Amino acid sequence: MSAWNMALRSLGRRKVRTALTVSGIIVGVSMAFAFLSLVAGIDVQISDIIRRIGGADITMYNATRLTRQQILAGATNTLDESLLTTISEGVVGVYAVSPQLTFIGSVNGTRAPINGIDQLTHSIVTGGLNIINGSSLQEGSEKEVVLGKTLADTLEATIGGDVLLSPLQPGGESYKVVGVYETGMALQDRGCYITIDESQNMTDREGIITAILIKVIDPNEVSSVRTEITNLIPDIRLVVPTAAIQQVSNMLNTVRMFFFTISLVALLAGSFGVVNTMLTTVTERTREIGTLKAIGAKGGQILTIFITEALLLGVIGGGVGVLIGIGLSILFPMFAGGLSGLPLGGFLGRGGRTAGGASFGGASITPAILPSTILLCFSLGIIVGILAGLYPAWRASRMKPVEALRHV
Amino acid sequence: MSKKIVQTKSLIKIYRRGRFEIYALNGVDLEISEGEIVGIMGPSGSGKTTLLNMIGGLDRPTSGTVIVDGRDITRLSSGELADFRLREVGFVFQFYNLIPTYTAMENVEIPMSFAKVPKREREARAYELLSLVGLKTRADHKPDELSGGEQQRVAIARALANHPSLILADEPTGDLDSKNAISLMNLIKRLKEEYNQTFIIVTHDPIVVRGCSKVYNIRDGRINLGKADQEI
Repeated sequence: MSAWNMALRSLGRRKVRTALTVSGIIVGVSMAFAFLSLVAGIDVQISDIIRRIGGADITMYNATRLTRQQILAGATNTLDESLLTTISEGVVGVYAVSPQLTFIGSVNGTRAPINGIDQLTHSIVTGGLNIINGSSLQEGSEKEVVLGKTLADTLEATIGGDVLLSPLQPGGESYKVVGVYETGMALQDRGCYITIDESQNMTDREGIITAILIKVIDPNEVSSVRTEITNLIPDIRLVVPTAAIQQVSNMLNTVRMFFFTISLVALLAGSFGVVNTMLTTVTERTREIGTLKAIGAKGGQILTIFITEALLLGVIGGGVGVLIGIGLSILFPMFAGGLSGLPLGGFLGRGGRTAGGASFGGASITPAILPSTILLCFSLGIIVGILAGLYPAWRASRMKPVEALRHV
Repeated sequence: MSKKIVQTKSLIKIYRRGRFEIYALNGVDLEISEGEIVGIMGPSGSGKTTLLNMIGGLDRPTSGTVIVDGRDITRLSSGELADFRLREVGFVFQFYNLIPTYTAMENVEIPMSFAKVPKREREARAYELLSLVGLKTRADHKPDELSGGEQQRVAIARALANHPSLILADEPTGDLDSKNAISLMNLIKRLKEEYNQTFIIVTHDPIVVRGCSKVYNIRDGRINLGKADQEI
């Protein structure tokens, strides 16, 4: 005898009409669901690509312009080590920072970029070097070097062998080759890595570095962290390697809004169907409404009866719509094989800098079915049902019993 | 002298149709006591149903008062009127007006559910009322599975649900054959005898008129008391 019971039986009495009305909501809800899941799937893939690219989220350099004389004299723009503390303690959202000192030096007489790093923080910030042979630098390494693949090939160096390192002059100190890394990027693979202390000693640059590698807590906050650092420290240049991907991600938000709007329009069309059906129902049941009022129903009770009926249409439409949406999301990758490995994967893959910079091609987009999407789409169906039921229910509740009873 | 249930004084109802004013009721005074079966007769358009609607709180008079069980219902708000209809009167219609999706039992329960009577109590009362009208075995049937006579009995059970002081019936036998009309009238008389239930019945049907304790004739919005057998 509850309003639910009453609504259920009333809808059951006109099954075809109920089914047609509900299908309007189903189309909107399932469309919204499938679109949102697809976009969420692309989101997941982008995060995956970002994770695989690895490396620091932000790299900071000194942006002061050098004079021609200074450059000819071999000067490079440097940063003071104290900036590490400034950033890690002064900027919200920074997870870790790591120093790097890079200079052009000589390895067994071959010109090569020599990078000094702090092994522990470097691996936290960048995920570490992509070692293909041997091992990386260890905590407290002394006189050890990791060579880029190209450099190792050129020098025909072997793990365990010795090479001579110096700042652009023949001779130098002897370092033991402990490993070989590969990034897939030409310049990187021609270089080598030693500890930051050794690189500073070699170039007489105590407390001086050339770059600070920064990892942020939330990858989505990169741009705000970037802005904060810019405001805090003057004359610096910040490089964000994932910026391009972030841009795609932002673009995706536009796509998401677009699809969502289309779905809402579909739902709006569906809601007109509900309004229409409910108005028909109210008209058909005029005498019933008159009877209920005559035997003592208040306007509010009549309102409840019809809103419940519309709500039920929304619940069925939302529920079935979500189920169909899930079905579409599962079937989508099967039928959309041609979409696998969208340019997205291949194009972004080349941005890889250090670890795991392999090809990302062949990655396919699988819609991600999220509980939040299920909840959102189901609620949409319910909200549409209620909103569409308001006016017809209000009309029913305002009927004059005498006139309603006279209705044939 | 038994208790007065209904009293109307100078009841006037005017309908406006464009420039015309139609006096549906033009100064109606009547008195009905507890336990009476009162018939209201008159040609169609004479104001019978209008009068019934005034007494039942479905419509408001243009002027005059309607006192039911000591209360002037013309002063009630529309919410109070709904409550009055729920608890003080029961309606019986010519075409039964049962809810088609509900069983006989559930139809009888509707007014009690509006009055927020607990489910268990509601069901017991509905079953008791269906037994009273002789439909105990048909409790689980829906209206389209019942004959006209049976449906009207369900309607009477529904009208009785909240112990009203008065039952208003508009052509209750209008859609029934004589056999069913007679048995319905017998039920009404039995309810009067056993429960002192008051009925006001708008009717053309001689079978009904014969069972009335008092008959009013309405013509052109005016009322006068007739004798039960006189007009037939």
